[in-house]
Amino acid sequence: MNIDTPFALDGADALPPKVLLVDDDEVNLIMTSMALTERGFVVTQADGGERALDILSGWQPDIVVLDAMMPGMDGFEVCQRLRTQAVYENTPVLMLTGLDDDASITRAYQAGATDFFVKANQWSLLAGRLHYLLRASRTRIELERNRAKLARAQDLARMGSFEWRRPVLYVGQGTLTLSPEGLRVLGRGHHEQPGLRGLLRMVTREERRGFLRMLNSVAQSSAVLTTDVPVLLFDGRQRIIHVEAEPEFNEHGHSLGYTGIVQDVTDRRQAEDKIRHLANFDSLTGLPNRRQLQWRLERALEHAKRLEHACALLLIDLDRFKVINDTLGHAAGDELLIEVAKRLRGCVRHSDQVMEGSLEAAGARSHRTLEAVGRLGGDEFVALLPEVGGEPDAERVAQRILEVMREPVFVAGQECFVTASVGISMYPRDGETVADLMRNSDVAMYAVKSQGRNGSAIYSPMLAGRGREKLELESALHKAIEREELVLHYQPKVDVRSATMVGAEALMRWARGGQLVPPGDFIPLAEESGLIVPLSEWALREAARQAKIWQTNFGFSDSIAVNLPNRLFERSDLVDHIHNCVTTYGVPHSAIQLEITETGLMKDLQNVIPSLHRLTELGIEISIDDFGTGYSSLAYLTALPIAELKIDRSFVRDLGVTPQSSAVVTAIIALARSLSLRVIAEGVENLRQMEVLHRLGCSVMQGFLFCRGVPADDLERWVEQTILPRKAPWIVDALGATPLRARSTSGKA
Amino acid sequence: MLTEPPPGQACGTAPNAPAVLDAGALARLGELDPTGKGGIVKRVMQAYVGSMDKLLPQLGPARQAKDFVAIRHVAHTLKSSSASVGALSLSGRCAQIEALIRQDRGAEALTLLDEFLDECASVRLAAAAILAG
Repeated sequence: MNIDTPFALDGADALPPKVLLVDDDEVNLIMTSMALTERGFVVTQADGGERALDILSGWQPDIVVLDAMMPGMDGFEVCQRLRTQAVYENTPVLMLTGLDDDASITRAYQAGATDFFVKANQWSLLAGRLHYLLRASRTRIELERNRAKLARAQDLARMGSFEWRRPVLYVGQGTLTLSPEGLRVLGRGHHEQPGLRGLLRMVTREERRGFLRMLNSVAQSSAVLTTDVPVLLFDGRQRIIHVEAEPEFNEHGHSLGYTGIVQDVTDRRQAEDKIRHLANFDSLTGLPNRRQLQWRLERALEHAKRLEHACALLLIDLDRFKVINDTLGHAAGDELLIEVAKRLRGCVRHSDQVMEGSLEAAGARSHRTLEAVGRLGGDEFVALLPEVGGEPDAERVAQRILEVMREPVFVAGQECFVTASVGISMYPRDGETVADLMRNSDVAMYAVKSQGRNGSAIYSPMLAGRGREKLELESALHKAIEREELVLHYQPKVDVRSATMVGAEALMRWARGGQLVPPGDFIPLAEESGLIVPLSEWALREAARQAKIWQTNFGFSDSIAVNLPNRLFERSDLVDHIHNCVTTYGVPHSAIQLEITETGLMKDLQNVIPSLHRLTELGIEISIDDFGTGYSSLAYLTALPIAELKIDRSFVRDLGVTPQSSAVVTAIIALARSLSLRVIAEGVENLRQMEVLHRLGCSVMQGFLFCRGVPADDLERWVEQTILPRKAPWIVDALGATPLRARSTSGKA
Repeated sequence: MLTEPPPGQACGTAPNAPAVLDAGALARLGELDPTGKGGIVKRVMQAYVGSMDKLLPQLGPARQAKDFVAIRHVAHTLKSSSASVGALSLSGRCAQIEALIRQDRGAEALTLLDEFLDECASVRLAAAAILAG
């Protein structure tokens, strides 16, 4: 490129600029063309207006140089026509005019020419002018592009700008001008300018007065404006508009007005609201969650402290919710919780308002909005009464709660009855902190549970000591199955004649927090609370599973005895349940034996008998546990489908000590024999007891002498290390000392 | 071909008469084509003569019909091209005619046409000499 030209190094000059030169005078055409070519332009010539338009219809130059005066279509007309075409709207056009031709200069601008140049053979000046126009054009294109980009960006951000000029002499509302993007944000047409009044009318009625008040106060102090305001668009959509503006001042420091932006932040606000809601509300029931309750309770206590009034916390725990969950499934359980939540909500002046930060802003009675029912988790709910006159107020709410629960709940297509236990603690009497009040309402609630549920109780210090541990235990036992804290241990049943294992009794153990809880500590509690049902069902399943494992490992083909409470025999689904258990693991029905205590059996004989028959038909044997301690009707005993009597450990313990016990054992053995029942002795702890039992005719036994109740794996090892190698004092004794030895060993041989 | 014309020296038929084509203007014309490869002077002269041949025949009917637009067009076109080839006097005459017509003094313009045509003839001769040289 020619270095003479001052604009030669312009950034965009990578390509030589293309010029269309239009002149009817051939002399001029040749000369100008030559001069411009010499200066680095690529020149295309046209000798008239028509020819120029023809060329321009198929090719676009960077700049057009037009002779103004031409025969036929003159330069003005060419220029005018070019400007009507979108592609030539902004192409620079230089009009060549005569030196003294003022009229042409004016006409040139009217026709849309970018500039004019007096015809003279001043080539460098002409070239310089062309470069200048090209650069201006590029700048303009860049500007247009940036403006379009900005508009696009604003549209994407649903944002637009505005300008507000203060009213002259402080009369009226001033002048508000919105950019097209700003108008779009507000759902207004491109050329509408609704003015401040028009915009205020879009603000929702409830907010309008406050918004106007704020605008006035901001404008008066020339402060920065930042706010979100709800508006109603003409199409009926409600949006939230973020307005942000800064004041502008003139050189004297007088405020001129504001410039700023409007932005549609509805989506963002909705997302924020959603997040806030998720953080503070339970997703299942929509009630305030633990976090929100904690916050509300803290605020309520602050308020109560300051104004010296009482407040109440009601802890609501559903009774036997777990049973519903287990029998009807989790989906039904959820349905139930939703319905319960709805009912509970109706028992207080429930407020869903999410609150964070200070309450003060909301006024003196604001603590009323803290009142709510919330869900702590699981089947535990809380009702917070931020201001009560006294205990009766809280009790009234508790009664209302118990009442609304009385209606049956429809879940999973059936009616369910659910009750609740409500524990109440009062501020300040029962505690001054959230933790204290929560704990004490918990104590009161468990007191209700232990007194038979479906009621309410107010905390008193007396409750705290009584049965506290037991209540905690019960609550923990509730979760024991799902936490897989329960295990079965097994104690072998041994036939001492052959020194073989002839079965095992499953004994339930509870590994709570790494420690085994003795069955005596939790079985009665489980019975009392009804938890024994799911516990026993679990034990049946587990025993069937273990039978299968042993079958595989060492050919176990006897049965595992599971202790069942009589109430389970009353259940119509017991047989199905056992059937399911054994078929699930692929073991015969006889792999499971059921033990029922004599007392349990007799308590409700009529209801139990049908089950016993069906079980026996399936091949499931029934054993009477603790036999001899109850008051069995011998007459019934003959009619019952039972297979085995188990001599109670108390008689075994005294064998050889008191004559009565051996008399009882003798009688039981005789009875069993006459009824064709097997007999087994439990609690055999020493060789002497073993010998006596054996002598009296009972050869099947279990007890510490042989093996304690041990985990399944240990029992397997016991079989391997004790029974198979026949290595234990009792084996030597049993096989060596009794008259039965010959029979037994010869039988074996 | 005209080489090294003495400054301000005439270039035409009569060596002592005022120059019909200005030497300085011709020199500037030559500068557009420093290497001389483009044959700029001859090309421009040819175009100029061609333009005259095209325009001057229009003048007779226009004069008859007092078609001032046509007359003005001829004057306007020859004004700048004449200046370009150094026919400064002719260019000045064209400007005069154009200005008069623009000022609605067409009648006065008509009176200048004869002189105008005479000047055209002598410029054409000078141009022909250059083209022949």
